[in-house]
Amino acid sequence: MQVGPISRRRFLATGAKAGAVVAMGGAFAGLVEACSPTPNASSAGGTAAGTVAVEIDEGQNANPFIWFNPDMKAKFGATADILGLPFVGQYEKIVAEMLTRSSVYDVLAFPPQMLGDFVSNGFLAPLSGLGNEADFNLSDVLPAYRDPNLRRNGKLYAAPFDGDILQIAYRTDIFSAAGISQPPQTWDEFLNIAKELHKPPTQYGNAFYAQRGFCYAWFMNIFAGLGGQWFSTDMKPAINTDQGVQALQMLVNLKQYAPPNILQVGYPELNAAYMNGSTAMVVQWDDLALKAEDPSQSKVVGKNAYAPCPVRSYMPYSRILAVSAFSKNQQNAYKVVQYMSSAEVSIKDVYDPKCGEDPFRESHLDPAKVKDHLGNPSMPAAQAQSYVSAIKACLTNGYPELSIPGAPRYLDILDLFVSEALAGSLTPSQALTQATNEWNSITTSLGQDNQVKAYADWVSSFHAAGVSY
Amino acid sequence: MTSTRRRPSRWSGGRGFALLTVAPATIVLVVLSVFPLLNSLRLSFTDQQMLSLVPPRFVGLANYAKLLQDNLFWSSLGVTAAFALSVLTIQLGVGLALALALHRLPRYRQFLATLLLIPSIISSSVASFQWRSLFDYSSGPLNYFLGILHLPLLSWTADPRLALPSLLLVDFWQWTPFVTLLLLAGLHALPSPVFEAARVDGSSSWQILRYQTLPLLRRVIAITVILRLIGAFKVFDIIYTLTAGGPGSATESFAFYNYVQGFRYFSVGYSAAMSYVSVILVIVLARIILRYMERPVGRPSASLTPPQAAP
Repeated sequence: MQVGPISRRRFLATGAKAGAVVAMGGAFAGLVEACSPTPNASSAGGTAAGTVAVEIDEGQNANPFIWFNPDMKAKFGATADILGLPFVGQYEKIVAEMLTRSSVYDVLAFPPQMLGDFVSNGFLAPLSGLGNEADFNLSDVLPAYRDPNLRRNGKLYAAPFDGDILQIAYRTDIFSAAGISQPPQTWDEFLNIAKELHKPPTQYGNAFYAQRGFCYAWFMNIFAGLGGQWFSTDMKPAINTDQGVQALQMLVNLKQYAPPNILQVGYPELNAAYMNGSTAMVVQWDDLALKAEDPSQSKVVGKNAYAPCPVRSYMPYSRILAVSAFSKNQQNAYKVVQYMSSAEVSIKDVYDPKCGEDPFRESHLDPAKVKDHLGNPSMPAAQAQSYVSAIKACLTNGYPELSIPGAPRYLDILDLFVSEALAGSLTPSQALTQATNEWNSITTSLGQDNQVKAYADWVSSFHAAGVSY
Repeated sequence: MTSTRRRPSRWSGGRGFALLTVAPATIVLVVLSVFPLLNSLRLSFTDQQMLSLVPPRFVGLANYAKLLQDNLFWSSLGVTAAFALSVLTIQLGVGLALALALHRLPRYRQFLATLLLIPSIISSSVASFQWRSLFDYSSGPLNYFLGILHLPLLSWTADPRLALPSLLLVDFWQWTPFVTLLLLAGLHALPSPVFEAARVDGSSSWQILRYQTLPLLRRVIAITVILRLIGAFKVFDIIYTLTAGGPGSATESFAFYNYVQGFRYFSVGYSAAMSYVSVILVIVLARIILRYMERPVGRPSASLTPPQAAP
């Protein structure tokens, strides 16, 4: 076959097509490569026998491992090597790694919302197979953080490391000056107080996590208080109801009495908005209290009180520790999990302002124990009393975060549409309608029957733990 | 006299040798590019979900049909179109103006061209983190200057109306210098006798630009636009770092939405279908641009003809 010289035009056209195909397809090639399971092929990774690779969201929450590494080495000859992941985006990175059966992680620290997916896909080694459940002193773990967060199909897969719940932090000086004697008991009251105390640009009435990533939790916090539920028993989404629309409208209304950059506010920004003294009241994870009373971080030390959210308090995130099914170092990994979750060690970090772990054991709930990891009091006695009382009150009516297979996806979709409503691109009703449609697709794709059973089991575990739902 | 002619070995030269030398590169290409591409095409006809216990099924064109009804897909296409439009207008316009200015500079041209490289060689993720500080509402320098001028402070990446323009600004900052450099290289390659003749004929600067420079530069412009269009379709880092697609889905680009489907939800069948749609779109756009740019210039013989050395 005679092939003539290629014309410039043809060269350019072909080159452009090839470039486009390779450029666009290359990204997807990576996806296929990353997602294709390769049974029995452990990727490069793993650590020396005495080193346990710990996956955790990077930053302050890894500090306890660093603080207690010398003690772990002295007690059982292992130390933790932290492999940090971003707080938002942690799920996809763990899953992409575990789908290749990589042994890069020995211990995984993650929120219970991911437990359903991780167990159903065989990513975790049951702790009961590696040691004795009694090692974890589970009877001391608060019921809401115990079986629903740790067990699946009757097996113990994880140990608690952090007990998250949302609570109100408010400025006692501003409340007193305005003649407000107590924190809000209903969401209408919350809105009215936010409105009354809103005096921009020096003082904002309230603030909340409105950035993409976790804004769904602040919606759920209100929705739970209005009596909402995740699904019906046959897995019909129950968010697009009167309570759902009312809750989302409430969150949109609260935006008016918040700092102008509220849609940019995530966890650190929300802490900053309160601790720099510009916001009268916030709903935030409970560890804010420790930071707000820390003079090195806060301008409002001693001017705060803490209270449960109106009616119910949502329990977003939390952290649990588990051993990877693909770890080559499972025995040491088990020891690290057991050590870090123990009452004796965890009490030293759940009240330390330099980390984000929060109380999850009965034995933690003592104002006299509100100390940092070196044993110094974390806050004045009055604030410690208020803080611990608020946590107890929150837990009485804690509302559980969804933790069934696909939960991270349901939550991410909800987050997207809550964000759409906050941005004003959809009305609350439109946003929840679209979220409902997407939730139905997820349920179908994961198998309706599987999901109905998983949801029923999960709800029962809460009922068994005495948590109303 | 009889001559004994050695018959050439099949592998010692010619076709066999050529095949042998081409084989390693071909194998690498097939394994790393062609196979994944074909495999992803196959996936696009299935409903495969990496974390589902339900076995994947062949669904034909259902994923492609679903895309047509997916509001988020269309809005992500809108965001990508905004990036593409910015490439075609602002980046190309400013890049061309800068290239023309640099081309006429008698001195420091190389020094300035080197400086222009800096934004393009910085990793997009690193640049995004820097911009994140610049955009910060309370401590960012942009709002600091607005404050000095007694102007209202802006929520650069949090305001639904401003978030996308803010990202376009970052993209403009990073990639306009690259466009400038490509066009500058093209300007250097143009034959100077054509311009000298035009000047002798009394053409104004505008006429030279309109009727000589731009037509002769069309092919370089075409390649530049295509390269940047591919970049616009792939834009991801700055979105991931600065807005995570928000507020709402205001800054969720095509590539970001594809990432969400493929890597966050692990819906690989649907994600593969999206990838192929983007490939088709880029090819069609490239084809249109090339066709437009390859139209005959007034006097094609003059174009890209190297200047003859004067005796």
